[in-house]
Amino acid sequence: MNPAIRHKDEVAEQAGNGPGPDPFASAVEPAAVPDSQVAQDRTVPPAPVAPPNLADYAPIIGQSELDELRYLAQGLEGKTVKMVNSTAVGGGVAEMLNRLVPLLDELGVRTHWEVITGGNDFFEVTKAFHNALHGAEYKLTVEAEKVYLACNEQNRKHMQFGEDYVVIHDPQPAALVQEREGNARWIWRCHIDLSKPNHEVWQFLRPMIERFDAAIFSSQSFAQKLAIPQYLFYPCIDALSEKNKELEESVIQKTCDEFGIDRTRPIVTQVSRFDRLKDPVGVIRAYKMAKQYVDCQLVLAGGGATDDPEGAAVLKEAMAAADNDPDIIILDLPPWCALEINALQRASTLIVQKSLREGFGLTVTEALWKAKPTIASAVGGIPNQIIHKLSGMLVHSVEGCAYQIRYLLTHPEFAQKLGKTGHEHVKENFLMTTNVKRWLLLLRTLQEKQ
Amino acid sequence: MNSSVPSNGKPPTEARRPFHFNTSAHLLRIGQQRAASLGELLQAVHTCSDASIFQHTFRTLHEHHFIREGFSNDFAQWALSACNEPALAERLASVDIREFTSLTAIRERIVDIIETLLKEKPNTADRQVSEPFYFCASEVVVMPTPFVARTLTEFVDGLQRVTLHSIHHHFIEARLRLKLTSNDFSMWLEEEAGFREVARSINRIDLYMGTLEDVRRQIVRIVERSFNGEV
Repeated sequence: MNPAIRHKDEVAEQAGNGPGPDPFASAVEPAAVPDSQVAQDRTVPPAPVAPPNLADYAPIIGQSELDELRYLAQGLEGKTVKMVNSTAVGGGVAEMLNRLVPLLDELGVRTHWEVITGGNDFFEVTKAFHNALHGAEYKLTVEAEKVYLACNEQNRKHMQFGEDYVVIHDPQPAALVQEREGNARWIWRCHIDLSKPNHEVWQFLRPMIERFDAAIFSSQSFAQKLAIPQYLFYPCIDALSEKNKELEESVIQKTCDEFGIDRTRPIVTQVSRFDRLKDPVGVIRAYKMAKQYVDCQLVLAGGGATDDPEGAAVLKEAMAAADNDPDIIILDLPPWCALEINALQRASTLIVQKSLREGFGLTVTEALWKAKPTIASAVGGIPNQIIHKLSGMLVHSVEGCAYQIRYLLTHPEFAQKLGKTGHEHVKENFLMTTNVKRWLLLLRTLQEKQ
Repeated sequence: MNSSVPSNGKPPTEARRPFHFNTSAHLLRIGQQRAASLGELLQAVHTCSDASIFQHTFRTLHEHHFIREGFSNDFAQWALSACNEPALAERLASVDIREFTSLTAIRERIVDIIETLLKEKPNTADRQVSEPFYFCASEVVVMPTPFVARTLTEFVDGLQRVTLHSIHHHFIEARLRLKLTSNDFSMWLEEEAGFREVARSINRIDLYMGTLEDVRRQIVRIVERSFNGEV
């Protein structure tokens, strides 16, 4: 095997651990690894850490910003919120709720998070709904409708809805709204791309969605014609999470040393699952075109090659495309290697996200937060984050990506300026604290409309 | 950002009425209108709410306050990125929100620019663009801050401690409330504190040539220079 290509077992062995039990069996939220232990053991997920307090964000956003959050929360003191979704661990929604719930609670808005339960048949149906709402072909059957509604009804019987606000995340628990009672305000938070939904599934869900008081989408383009108000909440990152917190230089160096990355030469990195829609082979082609003119290394860091058959195939394709180039470093990392991803992003000269399709593209947000010059495809939510030539470079092809790699590596001052603007853009619009502010504003708005 | 203001030994002048620093927060509502061509954009600009015009001009400038050059409003950005119409983008970008004291007037100006372009290039009206323009609207909540200024020293202190949302609220959004081509800072400095030239200098700051943080620094610098009799 080419020494530049690293797999999870190899990484674990290098770190002094044998392969052990399959660490990819479940996705657990990445948690704290003491800096001294970086890259010591990736075969098991680290223990979770307590979430930060509101005051911990003061050095990042400023005391006056925190004061504004506290002021907005004053009008909601004593109010109660119930968040409902379908999974407690794994996935972006659970990760976000893990941070949002304690912060709202700390602000005096008592927030409670409940997870619905269901059998395999229910989750098979909702997975199909999820894909269909993303635009996949799907034939909705009466049986699927029954499974969906019955499971929601079953959950409703065991749940109390005495809160002032009920927030339902995504389609899985959406039917809970059908039996809404009392004065509570019901909000549907849709995290998925609804820009081209499967007609049948959407027509089935739509009457339920219109029973809510408001809907929230992650992009303007996901909004639908609905009889209720629709709001835009961008997805966000937590500046204090393992993946985004500041790191000591020694941690970054240690990570690069372990993976054989030379920090004296330019590093171009793409972080993403081994998925064809992330186009890792396209990134390698762009790197090879650029490499004819500028020296650089390429790091492809991601996961999904073990728990997903397609991921394994895509990894193989990427390895074939790399063609034993010692300057291409492919890292197949388990999902809890947030600290290592953080270090790799911070070590990079440029970040690339050459996706063919994308939801919002939080890896772009992470790169911009680290003030990294970023080249990304103009797909999904990426143009909301990258304003071409101002906060990054948008591209539409392998050739365009190669050109921008060359351009930014030979114009470091311009690249630095892009990174700085990108950081400010994230600070203003895509941080967890901004998300908290949007929630407070929405709760106040719905309260006033009551 | 606590810095003392050089007072040259002069006692601070007390204003007749204090300046209360407020701030505002915005909730973004997605509208039902969208435009997939310049013709549709023109139609939608005619009929969209004032809150939409506010969002895509005043508010978007705030959301992108950290950009030093090249960003003016969403219409201009879309004309360039989705329609590939640089001339239209330039004209739309030249709409300086500080010249307007009403959203109706801004709407008329934008309509006028698009209509002119469509007269020059009628074929562009129905040409499909790469990405639709989605009309949004802003719901605003105004809040007090703990900062109150009775003297120039306190004024500078407040300027340095409030958020940029507050600077935007008083310096940029204010003209819609005041219905004057001025701002809250200049109005207070001139009418309550008697610093007419300082007020005028502040009102001449070109907000399109720097970030909102640059604007804050310039206001502070102008007020500080007044302590030394330079303004």
